[in-house]
Amino acid sequence: MRVHLASSLQDALAFKATEPDAWPIAGGTDAMVHWPGAHEMHERTWLDLSHLNELRTVEFRDDFVELGALATYWDVIRDARFTALPLLPQAAATVGAVQIQTRGTWAGNIANASPAADGVPALMAYDAEVVLGSRDGGERVVALADFYHGYKQLEARPEELITAVRVPLRAHDHQDFIKVGSRAAQAITKVGLAYAHSSEGWRIVANSMAPTVCRCAAVETLVAAGTAVAGPDDLADAIAEDLTPIDDIRSTGAYRLRVFGRVLYHALQPICDSFS
Amino acid sequence: MSDRHKLNVIGTPAAKVDGLTKSTGQEIYADDIDLPKMLFGKMLGAIVPHARIVSIDTSKAAALPGVKAIITGDDMPRKYGILPVSEDEYPLETDRVRFVGDPVAAVAAVDEATAEEAVRLIEVEYEELPTAFDIDEGLAPVAEEARIHDYGPRDNVHKLVNLHFGDVEGAIERADTVHEGVYFYSGNNHLAMEEHSAVAQYGADGRLTVWSSTQTPHYVHKAMAKVLDMPASRIRIVATPNGGGFGGKSDPFPHEFCAAKLSMESGRPVKITLTREEVFYMHRGRHPVLMWLRTGHDDQGHITALDFKSFVDGGSYGSYGVASTYYTGALQTVTYKIPNYRFRGVRVFTNKPACGPKRGHGTPQPRYALEIHLDKVAEKLGLDPVRMRRSMLVDEYTMTANHMRVTSCGLDECLAKIAEAADFERVRGTLPYGKGIGVAVGSYLSGAGLPIYWNKMPHTSVDLKVDRGGGVCAKCMEIDIGQGSNSVLAMTVAEVLGLTPDDVQLVVSDTDTTPIDLGSYSSRVTFMMGNAAKEAAEKIRDMLVAAVAEKLGLNATELVLRHRRVEHHGTGEGMRFAEAVPIAEAMFGQLSSTGSYTPPRLAGPYKGSGVGPSPAYSYSAAAVLVDVDPETGIVTPERVWMAHDVGRAVNPMLVEGQVEGSVYMALGEILMEEQVFRNGLHKIPSMLEYKSPTFLEMPPVETFIVESIDGEGPFGAKEVGQGPLLPMPPAVANAVYDAVGVRIDELPITPEKVMAALADKEKGGPGRFGPGGVPEVDFGEVLAVDPVWYDQPPEDWIPTVRRGEES
Ligand SMILES: Cc1cc2nc3c(=O)[nH]c(=O)nc-3n(C[C@H](O)[C@H](O)[C@H](O)COP(=O)(O)OP(=O)(O)OC[C@H]3O[C@@H](n4cnc5c(N)ncnc54)[C@H](O)[C@@H]3O)c2cc1C
Repeated sequence: MRVHLASSLQDALAFKATEPDAWPIAGGTDAMVHWPGAHEMHERTWLDLSHLNELRTVEFRDDFVELGALATYWDVIRDARFTALPLLPQAAATVGAVQIQTRGTWAGNIANASPAADGVPALMAYDAEVVLGSRDGGERVVALADFYHGYKQLEARPEELITAVRVPLRAHDHQDFIKVGSRAAQAITKVGLAYAHSSEGWRIVANSMAPTVCRCAAVETLVAAGTAVAGPDDLADAIAEDLTPIDDIRSTGAYRLRVFGRVLYHALQPICDSFS
Repeated sequence: MSDRHKLNVIGTPAAKVDGLTKSTGQEIYADDIDLPKMLFGKMLGAIVPHARIVSIDTSKAAALPGVKAIITGDDMPRKYGILPVSEDEYPLETDRVRFVGDPVAAVAAVDEATAEEAVRLIEVEYEELPTAFDIDEGLAPVAEEARIHDYGPRDNVHKLVNLHFGDVEGAIERADTVHEGVYFYSGNNHLAMEEHSAVAQYGADGRLTVWSSTQTPHYVHKAMAKVLDMPASRIRIVATPNGGGFGGKSDPFPHEFCAAKLSMESGRPVKITLTREEVFYMHRGRHPVLMWLRTGHDDQGHITALDFKSFVDGGSYGSYGVASTYYTGALQTVTYKIPNYRFRGVRVFTNKPACGPKRGHGTPQPRYALEIHLDKVAEKLGLDPVRMRRSMLVDEYTMTANHMRVTSCGLDECLAKIAEAADFERVRGTLPYGKGIGVAVGSYLSGAGLPIYWNKMPHTSVDLKVDRGGGVCAKCMEIDIGQGSNSVLAMTVAEVLGLTPDDVQLVVSDTDTTPIDLGSYSSRVTFMMGNAAKEAAEKIRDMLVAAVAEKLGLNATELVLRHRRVEHHGTGEGMRFAEAVPIAEAMFGQLSSTGSYTPPRLAGPYKGSGVGPSPAYSYSAAAVLVDVDPETGIVTPERVWMAHDVGRAVNPMLVEGQVEGSVYMALGEILMEEQVFRNGLHKIPSMLEYKSPTFLEMPPVETFIVESIDGEGPFGAKEVGQGPLLPMPPAVANAVYDAVGVRIDELPITPEKVMAALADKEKGGPGRFGPGGVPEVDFGEVLAVDPVWYDQPPEDWIPTVRRGEES
């Protein structure tokens, strides 16, 4: 096992350019879970970012917030300015428990690319963008909604690191984050929903319902079009078009479909006229 | 009760005597032991569920620098097993592995990482065999050479039981109503915080010492002597304080033998601490049990007959399984009058980690089935479930149909207490959709009436030694597994000698220096050790009293020990305890005493009657209020009321602690905990995915202590460590039904099952989730036994002391 302790972002990007197989480590809360069980991990080269204070930033600009790649859930929970983006502290508070919230980063949550990630749906509902950096390519900005191509397949080149996440500051009249897990803390999401409505329209995002966290295009269209919905069953076709949940150790596909429909219906019913 | 007999220590809430040591981190657990030149051991587990071992090549591992010893099955070719009837284990298997994780080799090296690496270098060639993974597969016919074990009545059947008391068929025929049901209770692990750990040191003097996190040092001692082929007198087992046991540390385990053998081979101390993953493989946890039952009732709902079958998934070894199987049929009769009773049970071997005892050992499963069943019967007959139960409870000091002797029984009071506290009759039926209330009862042993191997010796003894300076030392092989047995020992001695618990020094759980105690299992310690401690202390008390009486010219019968004094009960004339000691020592010689306890003969007149009898049964009743979210199926217990008949609360604070702990553990089994396997591979052998409740899931628990003052318990005490778990699973299931109208007849009650049952109900189905039926099994020849009628108790065993009186 080799570990490179990055001394600056520049140093980290340089290392990643020469050793694109190196695994970045931020909070380590995903990376360490499989340690030491997975023996192939012992042979890896790790790129430790954890000392890069220049990435441990939360900056409110005119029309967006920038979370540095080392910004943690706790950084958001304790920062009162995030009342402007309530889904972020809301989602953050459901991640693991306090110990994980103080170490785990938003960028790590994105890069880990778990379909069950809780930070990602909140960010995606706000049209967040991922800022990627590399030594030779400079900076590149990708919409989070376009960031995943499939299960654990990212729109990021091997030599790139996530340097920041940008979240537009918009006025939302409706928004919520709902997590259904197997217990009140320290539980991975079985069924997850984040939604937000602004002048840009509806963003309805599901986690643990498909190979990646994703926006639900058919559901968004149905809601935007004002199609009459009299109960959870009326959402079933659109949900089936958007989402393909599976049976796994935590739940069943049937449960996920049924519960997602109900959670979604009961979330939107009080706020959408088309929902009766 | 006159003031003279007032209890000063017993009955007073008090912190545990080892509480400060534990809460400040000073307690030394097995894994904390660090001896000079100590090596670290690691075992290699099988990677296939059932196979013949073709070859084991340890040469690469032996060549690794830092490796000091390697052993395989051939180094310890003697079988052991906790029950003499099923000695079917080797520390390291020699020719066959039976589950993924079954140890085949072990290494000792200078550090843990080297030992791990060495274990990975060992090459094992397997020839795979047909497998059985569940009850159905375990019952299927199998070729002789593919059987998991070569003993048992047939195929992979380990044990068959077929007991009949009275005339079940006749009673069912004559019954006003007959009800039938099928239930499944899933298997789960103890999940003790402390993983198993053992340190062994084989000295140049040819003596072996093993420090181990075990609940049963005596049985480990016996097994160690057998497996290592060494005189027991050269082996010393020290049980270190258990960071939780719950039954999971009650068997002798491979790592204990391996640490010992590796120490003998290397000449250095060896420590083996299991990883959490290995704990899931060593297991010995709750048996998955499928159950069928049929009851006959009269028009009042009273049970006229109970016909019960259990199908027990044993996993790969015998362990306590024969006893577990009997337990699934033993205690149904000690709560309600059941004049006719039939029990048929089968345990099968499967290629999974072996099951064994977990809190309630074999009895939570049938209790779950019976108490849900009675809830259904009450509903069908239009009866209140609490009243129906209260109208058919066993009477105190009677016998059951299957020859269990019931002494004190505070169950009626338990039911009355929780019904009143929960306002059950008013609340039930008036709660909104999604909220529900349920009740259930349970009962458990205060120690098994019979030892694990046949003998007539005491089950426990306590030695007391009083120092000239007035210090008192109590010695006993009992082991504190968190249940507070050290405190009980200190409190009992302190009570009799008029001291405070922290005046009493303890030396415990050491086979060299302490007298026998069979171990912390079957909720036996308070009852049995308590009686022994009391007897030992009374002998010392009598010497002190005699000495002081003579010295001061007082009447010995009028002296009492209290407030660290030996004094006249009325005038207070006397002297300090510490002053009395030298006077007594001058009169009697060294002040030492021994007290012992052997339970009365309790077994009935039939084979299998050794499992179930206990000198006394504890009783509990629970009411639970739940919220069931019909959108997600999530069940949230919101309040628990638990009344427990503990006979006498030796330490009410510890009683409450045990009740709350039982509720907590039960909630895990009810809501989420389950061992899940895919082709024999444990799918979730870590605390990351094997979900158990956090404190956020823990509802407020209101505990009611009921004291029935048992005639034979020390100061009237009975058990509390296991019993309060029993009513919880059915009470929650009954509450879920009350909340949303679906029956979840299979644990755990996951949101997935609730949603499936709700969906079924929406479609016009019965709204039930549970097993559809049970397999056809030939249970072998029936053993018909005349029942003992509950209203004809034999006179000779009725204790002279009855409820409310003092011993
Ligand atoms: C007990 C426990 C509970 C948990 N509960 C939850 C939960 O409820 N919800 C949830 O969503 N998650 C949960 N997690 C997972 C984890 O905490 C989160 O995903 C967290 O956000 C990961 O951040 P990190 O900084 O620790 O990532 P790390 O473990 O450091 O990294 C995760 C992955 O991202 C990569 N990476 C990290 N930083 C960068 C970067 N700047 N550029 C490129 N790649 C990068 C790493 O190489 C790695 O592959 C839990 C984890 C644990 C251990």
